[in-house]
Amino acid sequence: MMKQAFTLIKHNLNKMKGQFFSFGIIICLTAVIMNIALVLALQTFSAYDDRFTELGTADVNVMISQMEYSDTIIGEIEKIGGVMTAEKHEGVLVAATVREFADADFDMNTVFYNLDADRRINRLEVSAENETDERLIYIPVYMKELGGFSVGNYITYSINGEDFICKVGGTVSEMQYGNYGTGLIGAYLPDAVYSEFAEEHIENKIVEYSLIIEEGVDLEEIKTSITELLKNKGISVLSVSDREVSRQTRTMVCTLLIVIFLALAAIILTVSVFLSDFRIRSAIEDELAQMGVLKAVGYTSGLIILSTVMPYTLVGGIAAVFGIVLSYLLLPAVANVLAIQSGFSYTPVFDVGAFILVLLLLSLSILLFSYISSRKIHRLEPINAIRGIIGKEGAGQNILLAAVSFGIMVLLSFAGTLLYNVGLKPDNFMKTLSEESPSVIFTAESGKMQELKNVLLEDNRTESVLEYITAQVSSPDGSLTAFVCEDFCKVRNDICYEGRNPKKENEIAVGNALAEKYPIGSEIEISCSERTAGFSVTGYVQSINYAGEVCELTEGGYDRIGGSVGTVYVYLQDKTADIFIAEYEEKRQELIATSVNYERLAENSSKIYAGIVSVVTVVLFAISVLLVLLVLYVILGSILNRRKTEFGIYKAVGYTSRQLTIKTALEFLPITVISAGVSAVLSIWYLPAMNQSIFSLIGAMKNHFEISIWILIIFVLAYTVVSFVISVFLAAPIKRITAYSLFKD
Amino acid sequence: MNKQVVISARHLKKSFGKDENVQTIYSDLNIDIYKGDFTVIMGSSGAGKSTLLYSLSGMDKPDSGEILFDGTDITKLNSDKLAVFRRKECGFVFQQIYLIDKMSLMDNVITAGVLTNKNREDIRENAKKLFSLVNIPELTWKKNSSQVSGGEAQRAGIVRAVINHPNVLFADEPTGALNSANSAAVLDVLTSLYEQGQNIVMVTHDKKSALRGSRILYIKDGEIFGECNLGKYESDHPMRTEKLERFTAEMGW
Repeated sequence: MMKQAFTLIKHNLNKMKGQFFSFGIIICLTAVIMNIALVLALQTFSAYDDRFTELGTADVNVMISQMEYSDTIIGEIEKIGGVMTAEKHEGVLVAATVREFADADFDMNTVFYNLDADRRINRLEVSAENETDERLIYIPVYMKELGGFSVGNYITYSINGEDFICKVGGTVSEMQYGNYGTGLIGAYLPDAVYSEFAEEHIENKIVEYSLIIEEGVDLEEIKTSITELLKNKGISVLSVSDREVSRQTRTMVCTLLIVIFLALAAIILTVSVFLSDFRIRSAIEDELAQMGVLKAVGYTSGLIILSTVMPYTLVGGIAAVFGIVLSYLLLPAVANVLAIQSGFSYTPVFDVGAFILVLLLLSLSILLFSYISSRKIHRLEPINAIRGIIGKEGAGQNILLAAVSFGIMVLLSFAGTLLYNVGLKPDNFMKTLSEESPSVIFTAESGKMQELKNVLLEDNRTESVLEYITAQVSSPDGSLTAFVCEDFCKVRNDICYEGRNPKKENEIAVGNALAEKYPIGSEIEISCSERTAGFSVTGYVQSINYAGEVCELTEGGYDRIGGSVGTVYVYLQDKTADIFIAEYEEKRQELIATSVNYERLAENSSKIYAGIVSVVTVVLFAISVLLVLLVLYVILGSILNRRKTEFGIYKAVGYTSRQLTIKTALEFLPITVISAGVSAVLSIWYLPAMNQSIFSLIGAMKNHFEISIWILIIFVLAYTVVSFVISVFLAAPIKRITAYSLFKD
Repeated sequence: MNKQVVISARHLKKSFGKDENVQTIYSDLNIDIYKGDFTVIMGSSGAGKSTLLYSLSGMDKPDSGEILFDGTDITKLNSDKLAVFRRKECGFVFQQIYLIDKMSLMDNVITAGVLTNKNREDIRENAKKLFSLVNIPELTWKKNSSQVSGGEAQRAGIVRAVINHPNVLFADEPTGALNSANSAAVLDVLTSLYEQGQNIVMVTHDKKSALRGSRILYIKDGEIFGECNLGKYESDHPMRTEKLERFTAEMGW
């Protein structure tokens, strides 16, 4: 059968080289995106797990203050059912501000460890050793990649107002923290440096129990058992982390990227399926007589369908293979970008599973849909086909163009909204991704809080002043970052996404990580220092930076567990934080212990995100233009072929090529404008839901994005103009059609 | 002399349209096509000549009736079986030629040839011989149909039609779209094929073309209205022309 159809298949391929080339490009693009997504999905998580095992990383890490430590605890932990082995590590846990982290100051709860201590569990892999007399520090890969610290650079940790400056001696690859998603990060000091540092921060010394548990044992059960064990001994847990939470937070961006890539690949595949469907239907109409002749000379419907479907499947298959190969050129770069967020790197390798999956999925989709499109060949009676009699045809090209314009406008509306909320209204983006963002944070000198507040309130440059602190507290489920505020009604970024903020001293709002366990109205015990109190849950708050392991407490509530708020958040009317801080540090130094320029931090973060979003927008726009180009190429190719006679007649009566080109391009304008416009108008309703669902994947439950009508209008106009220009360009071959060809034909 | 029947059609009925717009082409038509004949079907426009040709060749199905093609009732075959039947038994030459565009003349012929012969070289050799027979020079074989004259394209169409050695060659107004020189060349090819034993059924309204036939059938009012045997064609002899003229006059042409 294939041998009989071979000549026709070859002929069809030759006849529409350009059309198949454009089709191949789309499939190639789909394969690139799809294979990247699949390789990431198939290799990132297993590479993570391999690295996890390779470094003997603990399944559960529990941290307590060294002051509460006793020798017997480790033995008791090892006796808990399901615990295979446990190891004790020492460290120093401090709330530090890392200076010049990605050109900004970044608050990080950091655990300093002794790099030279023996470890069986949570082993470290040091990538560079530096022989020098200077004070050295070894930083995680994440700090190097995202923070921009290289070996040989100096890094400054501001701890309790004092600068701790070290030279970066190398990077440490470890799988316990990796990135800051869990709210803690490691730092590693050589033996001598560590001893000196630990001596200076003796009250912050911690003991960490790292546990390897038996396969199949529930992590939550183990965590609860340990927390109970320690609670019964009157020991507060500073932090409990487990492999699942770490894995989830470290692979968050990767998961998001996989979802976006797969969605993008699905959109492009749908467009290419539409394209092949349109092309096949056009071919049946355009070559009706030839199909009739083929039937007359003895070709069965099956053979003709085979010769129609095979070129698409072959081109699709070859383009898919080419796209898969191409994706491996891009994958190392994508993996490197992801390593910045995940804090661990790996080199993607050729994946047979992904190869087969992409190839089969694309080839079978093309085969199936092109078969469905060409099925009507079965119904063609040879004599009717020769006489040009065919059943009623729909407005195929208009439907295709409308569908593509609608789909592309979905992409552009998403990209435009992202750009608007990151580039033009960065507050919306920061509110979605971060917590409270003041202009300046001052830590008051002991006993000077009220005086500092009064001075700030009298300053006519301030818009408002709020007592607010980010502190560490403990819950039965481990350590929580608490946002403590004098009045949550006055905050600028209300992160409560369900229920309400706490108002009374016995109320609490908990982070999204605890939402499932603590329904609104339930009780939770919170400890700080040595005091514990019960709180009633009033609502849920989001937190991306702390993986949802947060809570909100009132100042009174924080006071109940022995905490006090020592910092004020200052909101300035203008962006003058630099001058403001300099002035206060000079004139009011008796009131201020430390200051943080949060305005600069937010701006720097916005710049980083704006850069990424700009790239995303440009890529989406480029993909959109490419899709429009390819779709119009197919449609115009078909129109020029079908309406050759009509154009010849127009030329015979005096139309110029230019007039006909513009006329043809203008024919697409109404459908392009209407479908893009409808999509843009509908996006006002669907975009919030779309943004909400995409950002909720990374824990941003409350989306502050605004939809700009102007941005949508600009993108609709841009899309229309680009489509028109492409149409004019593609309709140019009209000039090759002559009135004379009418007679010749 | 008893002639062997190749096609025997009985009680054929064919109509187009629906309800009050129904147009009956023929309601009870009977016809026999004999082996060794160059049968020409004549008639006025709309008489149903082409419709009959396509019914006899299995290209179109009559509404009712029976068509025995070498003993097989082709009205009972489904479309795929009809396709297989056509590739083995029929060859077609169309008025509009209908070569596959953007495909060389040789490939057009091979496209038909591969349906019955798996040996491509064999098909190519046969095609070369046939191209020589119809006077298409070698340089033209690789050209597309749009690059050759109408006469050459139609002669290539005839090569395509006979490459599978069909039992019957059906020709629907094969000279209808050609000038007189090209028409003569095409008719010469058909005559030559007939002389080599090819059964031919041709529809035409052109008397010059009809002169090439051995048996002329005239279709009128949905039935075979008259028949004229001209015998084997040797030349446009005045006697042959006169006989045909007289016949068509009798038929009311």
